[in-house]
Amino acid sequence: MQNKPIVHHVEKIWERALPEGGFAAKPEGMYRPDSTAWAILALSAAGIRNDYLEPSRIRLKTSQLNDGRVCALPELPDTYWPTPLSILAWQGSAYQRDAQSRAVKFLINTTGLHWQRKVDSPSAHDTSIQGWSWIANTHSWIEPTALSLIALQRAGYGTHQRVNEAAHMLLDRQLSHGGWNYGNTVVFDQELRAMPENTGMALNALAGRVAEEKVTRSLDYLEFQINKLRTPLSLGWGLLGLGAWGKRPDHAEKSILESLELQKIYGDYDTSLLALLILSFSLKGGLADALT
Amino acid sequence: MGLQKIIKSRQGWTRREFLLSTFTAGVFALSGAFWLRRWSRRIKKAEVFVSRTTEYNADIASVIISGMQELGITAKEIKGKRILLKPNLVEPQANTVHINTHPLIVRGAAEAFLSLGADRVTVAEGPGHCHDTLRTLEESGMADILSEDRIPFVDLNCDDVYTVRNKGGYSPLKTLTFPVALAQADWIVSMPKLKTHHWAGVTLSMKNMFGVMPGRFYGWPKNVLHCAGINQCILDINTTLQSHFAIADGIIGMEGDGPIMGSPKPASILVMGRNFVAVDATCTRIMGLNPKKVPYLAAASNRLGPIQEKNILQFGETIDSVRTNFALIDKIPAHKGLRI
Repeated sequence: MQNKPIVHHVEKIWERALPEGGFAAKPEGMYRPDSTAWAILALSAAGIRNDYLEPSRIRLKTSQLNDGRVCALPELPDTYWPTPLSILAWQGSAYQRDAQSRAVKFLINTTGLHWQRKVDSPSAHDTSIQGWSWIANTHSWIEPTALSLIALQRAGYGTHQRVNEAAHMLLDRQLSHGGWNYGNTVVFDQELRAMPENTGMALNALAGRVAEEKVTRSLDYLEFQINKLRTPLSLGWGLLGLGAWGKRPDHAEKSILESLELQKIYGDYDTSLLALLILSFSLKGGLADALT
Repeated sequence: MGLQKIIKSRQGWTRREFLLSTFTAGVFALSGAFWLRRWSRRIKKAEVFVSRTTEYNADIASVIISGMQELGITAKEIKGKRILLKPNLVEPQANTVHINTHPLIVRGAAEAFLSLGADRVTVAEGPGHCHDTLRTLEESGMADILSEDRIPFVDLNCDDVYTVRNKGGYSPLKTLTFPVALAQADWIVSMPKLKTHHWAGVTLSMKNMFGVMPGRFYGWPKNVLHCAGINQCILDINTTLQSHFAIADGIIGMEGDGPIMGSPKPASILVMGRNFVAVDATCTRIMGLNPKKVPYLAAASNRLGPIQEKNILQFGETIDSVRTNFALIDKIPAHKGLRI
């Protein structure tokens, strides 16, 4: 990786590595499992040697609970949304296969809250199609479902019934005007607005699984939006989403560098945001290219 | 000597110890009664200031300062305090004025607190739907104002956290997890937009505090709170977290299918007060709605603050002089029976 600003930001992530392994979200911050997983993915995509990343993968393993989940905080086990990120972070390591298998088993056996939609329900989406939730005992939403689908597919479970159903759920939550938001389509007869970050995640998850015509309107939405995006979460996922469908715009790298410049206004980005920009710079074909 | 040994070695009380203990207990009882009376007065009676303000380009800082003066808030009370402003930033939607608290209201509040001697002002929010908080800041116009005025911003969805017992007990949640930015502030100021809400009836200073709950622990949307009961969680958050002041942006509010898909509704007011229940009850009346029919306000009445008009001392404009009916939607259950 030759680009100077990107190399500089790879180093910035390294500076957040903790002596006991793992990464913090901010400089001099505390260990966070999600920051650690994102850092491993970004550093790996930036060409950092696997053995340098192993202490962080081990640290991530110490965050894993007995049933395989990885939580935002161990004392709050309902917050299991970092589990798919951990599966991806362990993907490149022969030493973490057991941890990855247990995390996969946890995801396969876990679902958000689902129920048969009532005729008079104010929400239009099919509430019975299973995906994954952010937090235990809540409904399934786009981001955790898309990430879980990507992680399970990457771990070799792409044909599993849960993965197929998750793809079905994502298609059901696609907005008729194109794109996805956090996961509600129509409420009280009004279609809600799409959001680029959720659209990018869903498009990443569905790439290679569904025919392009099923997501054409969302690709159109994102291709229109991408020229206006500059904040890291929307831009990063937007580029990965378009890249997964071979539609990465020519200005991608320039936009990423401009987004990094915004730190002069907003201060240091979280590790997850820095990692996302580095991944979107490195992976021209979407997140599926990570750790290949 | 360990504490257990000291207790075991006791053979009874000396006269001097008895008198000292009685005196100490008396002092505690008297001060307890004083604070209890003061707390009880604040719950049963409260003061609210209503200002007619028609434009965002008005001198908002002066309006807020005069409101605070009417409410008895002095520079002495603000001096040296760390102020956290919590606007209502819901979704990025460029060129709209009815979805998010207007940035010029936030600027005015920051100027007001700093001119009264606040040590620092921080703006903080954890949007409920949109994970990309920075885009919400940019498209709402808030980023420009914060950058120009050098006001720091904290994304409450991603801050470090602390967990405490749920003191409200209205919902099944045993604990509540808050961002540390709240613990680092001396004054928490809720800055809602006047809106009708399709699940809660209205969203004002109390419901605005949903936005402090971190997405990392409650999700995007904050579905943990929805599943535990929206009304109950509004009460739990406002019981557990001590907040200090509310400044409601009603210059242009939202009517109909709020909090996102409704229509702009000019109401030309700013409403302020220390007690969120009283502020929200007043805003609700100004919107032509009955606070007794809003479940969480009815439940908060006389527990967290007053909603009866006779128990709210109004400064500035009267409710009748600024009342403007916000449209409701028949098919939305939370809107049924709200009209005064």
